[in-house]
Amino acid sequence: MLDTQWESVARVGGDHSRPARDTWVEGSPALNEISDDIARPLSARPSAGWYGCLAASTTALAVGVGCVTYQIATGIGTWGLNKTVGWAFDITNFVFWIGIGHAGTLISAILLLLRQRWRMSINRSAEAMTIFAVMCAALFPLIHMGRPWMAFWVVPYPNWRGPLWVNFRSPLLWDVFAINTYLTISLVFWYLGMIPDFATLRDRAAAGIKKRIYSLLSLGWDGSQRTWSRYETTCVLLAGLATPLVISVHSIVSMDFATSILPGWHATIFPPYFVAGAVYSGFGMVLLLLIITRRVMGLERYITVQHLDRMAKVTLLTGSLVAFSYSSEFLSAWYGGHADERFVFVNRATGPYAWAFWTMVLCNVCVPQLLWLRRIRSSPAALLPISILINVGMWFERFVIIVTSLHRSYLPSSWVMYYPTSIEIGTLIGSFGLFFTCFLLFIRLLPMIATWEIKGLVGAHGAESPQESHV
Amino acid sequence: MTTEMKSQPVYWKSLEELRQDSRRTVSDRDEFAEPLPWKRASPVMPAADGHSRRDFLTLMGFTLGAAGCSRATTQHALPFVTAPEDLTPGVPNWYASTCGGCSTSCSVLVKVRDGRPIKIEGNAEAPLFGGGTCATGQATVLSLYDGARLKGPLWRGAPAAWQEIDERIESHLRATMARRGRVALLSGTITSPTTRDLIARWSQHYDRFQHVVHDPVSYAGIRRAHQTCFNRAVIPHYRFDRAAMIVGVEADFLGTWLSPVEFTAQYARRRRPAASMAHHVQFESTMTLTGANADVRHALAPSEIGRLVLSLLDRVEQRDRSRVDPPYSIPASALDAIANRLRSHRGESLVVCGVQDEAVQTIVAGLNDVLGNVGRTFGLSPSSLQKQGDEGEVAALIAAMRRGEIDALILYGVNPAYDHPDSDAFLEGLARVPLSVSFADRVDETAAHVHAVCPDHHYLEAWGDAEPVTGVFSLMQPAINPLFDTRAAPGSLLKWLGEPSNWRNELRSYWQRNLFPLQSAERDFDAFWDSRVQAGFLRVPVPPQPSPAFVGDLDAAVNRIREDAHAASRGADEYELHLYETVALRDGRNANNPWLQELPDPISRLTWGHGLAIAPAAADRLGVRDGEIVTLIADAHRVDVPIWRQPGQSANTVSIAFGYGRTHAGPVGNGVGVNAVPLLRQKSGRRSRVVRLEKTGRSTTLAATQTHHSTEGRPVVREATLKSFLGGVGEHGAAAESLPSLWAEHQPGSHTWGLAIDLNACTGCSACVVACQAENNVPVVGKEEVGRSREMHWIRIDRYYQGAEAAPDVLFQPVMCQHCANAPCETVCPVLATVHSADGINEQVYNRCIGTRYCENNCPYKVRRFNWFRYANNPRFDFNMNSALGTMVLNPDVVVRSRGVMEKCSLCVQRIQAGKTAAALSGKAIVDGQIQTACQQACPAKAIVFGDAQDPRSAFARLRQSPRHYHLLDELGTRPGVGYLTKIRNREA
Repeated sequence: MLDTQWESVARVGGDHSRPARDTWVEGSPALNEISDDIARPLSARPSAGWYGCLAASTTALAVGVGCVTYQIATGIGTWGLNKTVGWAFDITNFVFWIGIGHAGTLISAILLLLRQRWRMSINRSAEAMTIFAVMCAALFPLIHMGRPWMAFWVVPYPNWRGPLWVNFRSPLLWDVFAINTYLTISLVFWYLGMIPDFATLRDRAAAGIKKRIYSLLSLGWDGSQRTWSRYETTCVLLAGLATPLVISVHSIVSMDFATSILPGWHATIFPPYFVAGAVYSGFGMVLLLLIITRRVMGLERYITVQHLDRMAKVTLLTGSLVAFSYSSEFLSAWYGGHADERFVFVNRATGPYAWAFWTMVLCNVCVPQLLWLRRIRSSPAALLPISILINVGMWFERFVIIVTSLHRSYLPSSWVMYYPTSIEIGTLIGSFGLFFTCFLLFIRLLPMIATWEIKGLVGAHGAESPQESHV
Repeated sequence: MTTEMKSQPVYWKSLEELRQDSRRTVSDRDEFAEPLPWKRASPVMPAADGHSRRDFLTLMGFTLGAAGCSRATTQHALPFVTAPEDLTPGVPNWYASTCGGCSTSCSVLVKVRDGRPIKIEGNAEAPLFGGGTCATGQATVLSLYDGARLKGPLWRGAPAAWQEIDERIESHLRATMARRGRVALLSGTITSPTTRDLIARWSQHYDRFQHVVHDPVSYAGIRRAHQTCFNRAVIPHYRFDRAAMIVGVEADFLGTWLSPVEFTAQYARRRRPAASMAHHVQFESTMTLTGANADVRHALAPSEIGRLVLSLLDRVEQRDRSRVDPPYSIPASALDAIANRLRSHRGESLVVCGVQDEAVQTIVAGLNDVLGNVGRTFGLSPSSLQKQGDEGEVAALIAAMRRGEIDALILYGVNPAYDHPDSDAFLEGLARVPLSVSFADRVDETAAHVHAVCPDHHYLEAWGDAEPVTGVFSLMQPAINPLFDTRAAPGSLLKWLGEPSNWRNELRSYWQRNLFPLQSAERDFDAFWDSRVQAGFLRVPVPPQPSPAFVGDLDAAVNRIREDAHAASRGADEYELHLYETVALRDGRNANNPWLQELPDPISRLTWGHGLAIAPAAADRLGVRDGEIVTLIADAHRVDVPIWRQPGQSANTVSIAFGYGRTHAGPVGNGVGVNAVPLLRQKSGRRSRVVRLEKTGRSTTLAATQTHHSTEGRPVVREATLKSFLGGVGEHGAAAESLPSLWAEHQPGSHTWGLAIDLNACTGCSACVVACQAENNVPVVGKEEVGRSREMHWIRIDRYYQGAEAAPDVLFQPVMCQHCANAPCETVCPVLATVHSADGINEQVYNRCIGTRYCENNCPYKVRRFNWFRYANNPRFDFNMNSALGTMVLNPDVVVRSRGVMEKCSLCVQRIQAGKTAAALSGKAIVDGQIQTACQQACPAKAIVFGDAQDPRSAFARLRQSPRHYHLLDELGTRPGVGYLTKIRNREA
């Protein structure tokens, strides 16, 4: 019964009679050709470009490992924090990476439910990016603790210290739940999506260790109608579960700030503002990764300029929402009439960190306006610097929110400046190293495009396909 | 097995046991017939908590077993074979003594825990000082455990035995006496009557013996002027509490001048916001604590002070005696108003002046005489004995030394190679003295050049006495056995005199001969002695003397000042130089004390160094920023100092503090700042010191704990004028109490502790900061970390400027954890490491803290302090918590925090707990005032009051009802347990 229902939904959603412009794979490759193209990076020797990227990112990772080791051995004092500014680079990086992690789930869950077929060639790598970004993000709350070896105390588990429970009123605890849930669902979603492809790889692989690993990972996939039907049901159900998470995770992260009493943090607009910003930065990062990957891995056929165009549109939309939030914050600071609140925003735009604020405005408000032009949206060369600037801007957004609010709050006697140390910068670099190392290994070891979905896509407008209706 | 057990014969000890009386058997198990007293009384520990002594033993056995699993560092402890009968481990003993931090000689109590002095507190029962202390006094306990102290005597720089040194010195002295050579004792001010008596015996013994007193900051001008004016070379005993109109001229009497603890107590008594509130006018070159507290403050150059006092005298006398123009910096109308106020308070006004110029002091004495203050606020009998130095005699001694006329020189409590302006001449003379002996406790700048260093005890190890003001005696008793192989300096003097007595017996016999007969309370000397040692003080009646007539020659003084005023000239690019003492370091003798080095200056908020204070406008003219190094050129002397722009600084004057630039203080104090003393050297005939400044283009960092100096118009420190307050205008009631709250009310326990801080009484003296540091084991973090805004003080004194840069008002506000009922920190901690106690305290649980610092971010008062590093046993923070010696000062009742945890003011919870236990053991309720926090106890102005809001009769609860009471950042709804009382200014606007 379910099968027929979903089939009909799929038929309604899957509009097969679209003009050629919406063809999401170029050159109508045959199905085995698709398998070959996508599996090639997994078997062939990687290109020099891949090695170069890996060398750079592992170097960055090593810098980060060194910095974190030194910091944990010596103390948080190796960072530039002080009696007034308790968070700076650490939580900036955390929110930044959590934000990056939003595009993956948005693409795979929300766009799946919305039947956006253009997501198909990008969702796998977007999901992978999500997982790596959440990993990077989760690192920061852990290492920002004064005593990270006691980090397990934030988990509410039965214990004999009283029993001593956690503080359910603390937004940091909500973060623990939100991030863990998000990471779990994202991982399951990602893995589930790869099962048919693992089966394909298993069938293609010669006997040996590779085959055994792929057999294990494919969980005995047999490609039967029954399997496909259950599989797709699960996917849609999971998508339904994951959808609220896209909203909830960053909403909850924003509550770290929104529920405080600090002017500049204490704002009800934060949850939607942060979600918009997260999607914005997430798409910025997907753009950046895919523009590079399609070139380095030779996948221009599958990740087309049209994909980039669509993503640029989402970026433009969320970027505009972010810009609106900025102005709304200033409006409520002015209109609210709270002198301290007003001061924080004036200080943000004109104080000692004004350069960070205006960098943020330039990157997040001005630069995305270029995306109104189709010429820019369809030019990977133009999108590449824009996507980098978006990420720079979003990093600065979090820095501005955190540092400018903290460094001058209620009592002017405690106003200070914050300057990062080399250890903090090294840790930030290291988190990029971790992210890119994971991503590079991913495109080398796992099918970075959902082969079965692409086949469905291709099959939908010409070639034979057994999974025609299963989109 | 069970059957076997049952078949065993049953032995029983009592009938109750046999009959299984449950009550009896329970207590058998628990060993005690009655529940322990704190179990009965304490709400936190239920009487039957289900754990017995045997459970404890079981657990202890397991713990011991577990402890045996790992190899711990071997530490050898030597138990007492026979325990001292007055020592109960864990229970502090208190000994009355006299502070040796400076020559003021305040009466103190020493807290001794398990044989170690760990805290200094004021002796509230003693006369004069009112139970408070100053920052220096609080810090002296740490100097006891200073690793730079000498471990034994030195002969020519090498360790030697006392016997050997004594023989060498005695034989030299004998030889000197034989050939009638000159023996000189150069000492600091000695307030000890017994030591003075001993020195008198030296002058009997050696007929060419000379005692010269050197105070780094001299008060000799006052004594010389009073010799000519009243025929008494004394420093008056000033009574600020009797003055309704106070005029201070370059005298920081609340911060560093003469007897600041006593004066602060007197001042605070007279500054209560009532009709009798004293009016205070201050004239000074740089901003001092006293100027900051004045109702009216005028900045003026040192060269203008003569004309200022003359103008005041003219106006008070209402005749134009001096025929000089008033100082250009001060409008004549202001002087008229001051003179009118002075005249309307005859006999209850006071003019004090710190300028050591005989002519100026003559005019000041004349002013007080004209105003009828002599014998009232300006007491000549009793008089102060706290400063006896005479720079003229010191100069003569140095000249004699250079001529090779001194055969033996004994240095006691002085360091002229560092703090004498002509230190080179002194050292040159010292090299020509055949025997030089120093009693310095370390190889200081002077002791490095003497033949013998015979280290004196720290005052906490020594017997002694003091007479700070005639008729007021204070005893000093050892609170610990000498840590090192040292000997009391008077004991050495006694030994070299060839007397068989020891110093303690000498002290006793002096008191028996001279003081015992003056009192009638005790008949038996032993009982008298015991009672005085216990109380720490003795007040003997001073026979009343008629106030001496003023016989000074005012006209001669006028002429002197007029001549000087004409001589004073200053080029356009020149500045007058003014030197002053800071609250923390004073004359620099305690420079190796890390608590004092890290104590923010109350005005500049600088730690670990000083700057050249310059008016901001002058700095702009010169084009220099804070921290930019300039070369100060005074005659031939050049010194590089960083600039510090000081609001309220006199326009053409630069000021620099003494006490810095030590080279032989010890690892903590060496090389901090520059020594300003050589700048005092000057060509004769030029009264005002004129200096030039040259830019160097270099910069340094100055570690200030506060970098923003304006309240930005926020009602953080509230103030009102006396008139509006008395008129009922501008009350600061508990308006915000009615704000709605989303939080449920706390269930109050049996107490609701809190603090009330009277901003009108607080002078900003910072004694509380050091007291808190000592009480709560607050670590010292060093200049670099303070520069990163990571100082650890649990209480800070915020200082704000208000109004014009050239003449600002200054506001002080002590801020510690506000112990909010709705604490923003408590809601955000993920692991409940900061929680609210039933007694209204916001508690920090160090063990539970994982260091997210979210609480720090969410604290609107920014009082939370994070352990960025491990501050204890870390060579990187080699202050006092890195050595076995330094850690002896730690309070065993307070845990030393580990790295990565947050800390903050606990409201001295250990003192509250001790008070509650004491009350429970005695079966009585806690009396208001029985528990005092460390900050409250140290405060000489009684500005901090701790108490229970649930006790309506407590001083604290009454203060909370005051119309001046308000809460900091009330509008946030945090409902703090700490409240403030509005500052009142006794002036029109």
